[in-house]
Amino acid sequence: MSHVTTRRTPIAPERVDLSVRIGSLVLRNPILTASGTFGYGDEYAHVVDLSTLGGVVTKTVTVKPRAGNAPQRVAETASGMLNSIGLENVGLERFRDEKLPRLRALEATVIASIGGETPEELETLLRALGREAGVGAFEVNFSCPNVAAGGARYWADPARLERTLAQLKPLTDKALIAKLSPDVTDIRETARACERGGADALTAVNTFVGMAIDLDGMRSRLGKATGGLSGPAIKPLALARCWEAAGAVRIPVLGSGGIASGRDALEFVAAGATAVQVGTATFVESGAATRVLMEMRAWLAANGIARVVDLVGAFRAEPAQEERAIAPARNGERS
Amino acid sequence: MITRERAAERGRARAGTRRAPGARGPAKPDGGTHAASRRTWRQSRARVVSQREYGAGFRWLELELPAGFMAPVAGQFVQLMLEFPSPVLLPRPMSVASARRVRGKLRVGFLYAAVGTGTRALAELPPGAGVSVTGPLGRGYPLHEPGTPVLIAGGRGVAPLLMAAESLARSRRRCEFVFGARTAGLLVGLTEARSRLARARGRLHLATDDGSRGFHGDVVALLAKLAPKLERPLVIHACGPHGMLAAVARWAMANGARAHLAMESVMACGTGVCRGCPLPRSGEARAQVLAEGAAAAALKGNPEWAMCCTDGPVFEARDLDWERVE
Repeated sequence: MSHVTTRRTPIAPERVDLSVRIGSLVLRNPILTASGTFGYGDEYAHVVDLSTLGGVVTKTVTVKPRAGNAPQRVAETASGMLNSIGLENVGLERFRDEKLPRLRALEATVIASIGGETPEELETLLRALGREAGVGAFEVNFSCPNVAAGGARYWADPARLERTLAQLKPLTDKALIAKLSPDVTDIRETARACERGGADALTAVNTFVGMAIDLDGMRSRLGKATGGLSGPAIKPLALARCWEAAGAVRIPVLGSGGIASGRDALEFVAAGATAVQVGTATFVESGAATRVLMEMRAWLAANGIARVVDLVGAFRAEPAQEERAIAPARNGERS
Repeated sequence: MITRERAAERGRARAGTRRAPGARGPAKPDGGTHAASRRTWRQSRARVVSQREYGAGFRWLELELPAGFMAPVAGQFVQLMLEFPSPVLLPRPMSVASARRVRGKLRVGFLYAAVGTGTRALAELPPGAGVSVTGPLGRGYPLHEPGTPVLIAGGRGVAPLLMAAESLARSRRRCEFVFGARTAGLLVGLTEARSRLARARGRLHLATDDGSRGFHGDVVALLAKLAPKLERPLVIHACGPHGMLAAVARWAMANGARAHLAMESVMACGTGVCRGCPLPRSGEARAQVLAEGAAAAALKGNPEWAMCCTDGPVFEARDLDWERVE
């Protein structure tokens, strides 16, 4: 275990400073809800005090409303779930006119997730929302695995990411967060491209492309052949991608993927995440994000860590370990 | 058809009009309905009161819920989840089969079959064990609708209709209860259906595909046979396999009856957030959402797909495209 956590005197939980900075945005704590798992925020407002969370990342909004994919859209797999929602959303106009005012009233820190099939659509969204009061930052969804156009594959091209972010950057003075797909050969390349393009932060990662086949009908358990896998099943995978991305850039990284407890969240922080997102866990337990926050605070207090930022990136692989993890195994040698 | 009045009622509810705690009266036993189901759900720890064999592989589960959990109405569901360590990740939607107060505490009954990993583990839970329950969720049957109530159950779809029969009996409304299954042994809950119906002189009509009990044929054929003897208008409340519900819906639309069908879907959240449980809207419903503009779209979400969890699980026959229902 890292030096950070050894032999410190416990402190009172309320003395732990949980605030973190994402570009120009200061979050009261590092726990956010992941896009697509918390609606537009107001759906859970009667059971979760949104103002206590670090922030709410809203359901990805596109220029036009989208109806989403044909059923089935969800299928449970071992310790995880596949989804093929297809970016169903109310569209820019209704998001701005109906959803945002409600979120403002709830005093949530709002990170608006935006998605587009082209760089131009993202520009349209930022022109409309870029100076909107009540939006603290934007998360650009470069990684939806479930749409035919403008999904994770389209945005896996580092040059396109860099160019697009450079186009988007002047349209808002709020933080731009690029949400990355884990399904790339080397996430460090897409991460660096986003940083070069001007992203203020990254989210690592979106769902992993996955499949489940119903053998009786010899068909997919989803309406489409593949979907995005989330939940505890992906946590170790997501953690590795998050660690790789965080090691490759200087901008903050938001960790995401299977986080369901304070310890899960802290592993991402130790791996280099400045903040984390709780997603699928909310479907299991509506107050999951709140509990993750309480558990995180309690652990930091018990370990005498007065500021969560001191733990960011605390995990450092031994050089030999790192070598083994990244270098391909030689022929005949066990990796 | 969704009338403007009903649309407005639902719109108000969905806009999340906050009321002071306690301002809302107790759930009406006769269907308390659409408005009541809007964002009043809670996630609570419930206690297993009892479980018993119910025949044909079915079980009856009775849970006690803490104060603050709203009483469900017939047709609503809850998301039931096993406590750690659960063999499954997500909660499972379970239709409510009964809800009553015992010494001031809410007791909710469920009829289920232990067929999967999660339900088999649920079947093992002894009295006193805890489970997590989120609810009540969705829109129930509009039992207050005027007309002759005709309850139609197919197999294990009987669960919400047992509750509907109880609610109608409580408000002294006589109903017809049409209950069908593949074979006599699968008419689970027959005794309960009988006792609930007896209270308001309701009548039970049985049908089996193999003719082993009651009418030889399906519930729609039996319905067609009964209908001419019943006072119009008929208001059908049904639950069962989707094929049966499609047939009931088509019969109702062809014969000038209203029909409310409780649908099923795989779900993740159950609360409208994940958008994971779409059902195809009918052309009429789609046109209506589009014609009514943003306000209607706001309350219905999406002109193409209705969400089983929040737009339903009870849908009116005209609102879904039965050709595309899977």
